[in-house]
Amino acid sequence: MNWQADWGLRARMFVTMFLLFALYIVFAGALTFYIGGGLWLFAVLFASFSLVQYYFSDTLTLKSMGAKTVSADEYPQLHASIERLSQQADLPKPKVAVVDSKVPNAFATGRNQRNAAVCVTTGIMNTLDQDELDGVLAHELAHVKNRDMMVMTIASFLSTIAFMIVRWGAFFGGGHGRGREGGGGGIIVAILVSLVVWIISYLLIRALSRYREFAADRGAAAITGNPSALASALLKISGEMDKVPKDDLREEAEMNAFFIIPIKSGIVGRLFSTHPSTERRVERLRELEREIQSF
Amino acid sequence: MGLLDGLRAVLGLRAETDAGRDADPDDLFGMSTAYLTMEADLGYESLDVGALCFSGVDSRDFRDAVDEVEAILEAGQEETGTDFSVTEDGHGYHWVVLADDDPEDLITSMHFAADTFIEHGYGSRLLAAVFAYRDRDGPAYWIYSFRRGRFYPFVPRDGRERDSSAEFTLESALDGELEIESEKDYWYPLWPSERGTHPWE
Repeated sequence: MNWQADWGLRARMFVTMFLLFALYIVFAGALTFYIGGGLWLFAVLFASFSLVQYYFSDTLTLKSMGAKTVSADEYPQLHASIERLSQQADLPKPKVAVVDSKVPNAFATGRNQRNAAVCVTTGIMNTLDQDELDGVLAHELAHVKNRDMMVMTIASFLSTIAFMIVRWGAFFGGGHGRGREGGGGGIIVAILVSLVVWIISYLLIRALSRYREFAADRGAAAITGNPSALASALLKISGEMDKVPKDDLREEAEMNAFFIIPIKSGIVGRLFSTHPSTERRVERLRELEREIQSF
Repeated sequence: MGLLDGLRAVLGLRAETDAGRDADPDDLFGMSTAYLTMEADLGYESLDVGALCFSGVDSRDFRDAVDEVEAILEAGQEETGTDFSVTEDGHGYHWVVLADDDPEDLITSMHFAADTFIEHGYGSRLLAAVFAYRDRDGPAYWIYSFRRGRFYPFVPRDGRERDSSAEFTLESALDGELEIESEKDYWYPLWPSERGTHPWE
């Protein structure tokens, strides 16, 4: 069951990463040129910050979300699903956590396959049926498998530095003009460079994150063999399902004049979002479903 | 993790490629000598039953593939005398359950079934092959993971407990004879839905 490779997606992901790294090389060059040794302070500081974040990501994320690791006795069905999906995905079984929340949501965390955790809310378990939930769980397992946590941590690392320099650069040295002659000017340039780097990398990372979502959707479809279930889960979660009318068309006919076309977020909204819109994800899953059906 | 694996991970493709990787059913033949060892050296009695676990795909082509598996098993029934049935479990997974008191025939039939799935391009939907044994303490299974291409023991006890010492014994006794999964993280249980039943029931 191998559907066509999505070369467009791969190419975009590759180009985005390439641009990110090109940007960072230029950034590092500019920083060393303008503030020299000062860079090391930032680099060490934020390297350790990122390392801590990276190594404790699983526990930190779970804590911050108020998630509780649950045993197989408490949630046998959930555990059984994750076990079999992990088996299909060729993954060791991740930790299973549950958040007591009505909001339907799920996420995966952990720096590698052995420290991974998959977390779902009680809301999502109540909202979705078993197949749909499997699709969502497979999507999260695909994130683990694709090492998205690692990719995004590395991608965001220098962006964080750039942000910090913009934020604190002026405070540390800008206004006082201490140190070497002309140091103040160098720092101002560095801050400006950082600002530009931060904005561009912010957009690139958002784009990268969206491509990872598409990749995880494809991974989930490959794991479950059921793209439709994930699509219907996405529609349910985003509330799109509620928009599908339940009343007879004939009864609604008189009301049609009053229907409003929902306002779509424009290009700006798309640039800044981390997740692709549900419609686009569903559209891609629909393509996979069509490929399955046309075998 | 090799270079290619790393590249796949960076491009976010590992989940897709790994889940879509085809199985190699030839490993199943490793079980034929294991039957002898299990009975002669370890005192496990064969339950003369084995099962293939696969996850379905909701398409006509896949249903055709399942139909052909059934047809092939039916045709082979005369020659090998292997009984079979196709069932669905509580998790929505499907099973081809095979019964034959000759282990060789059992394995051959299972190989046929797995091969048919692969020929139809659904090798990646095969999850596990399960071989059932029993000793005085209860059932014991050898599970073959198609994803990993490895065997591991599974000895369930009441209350969703695993008898890890029995599993350890099986692992050490069959090591060398079977390609055994070295990472215990991948020793996934396939719990029966009720006590006293098999995972496929």
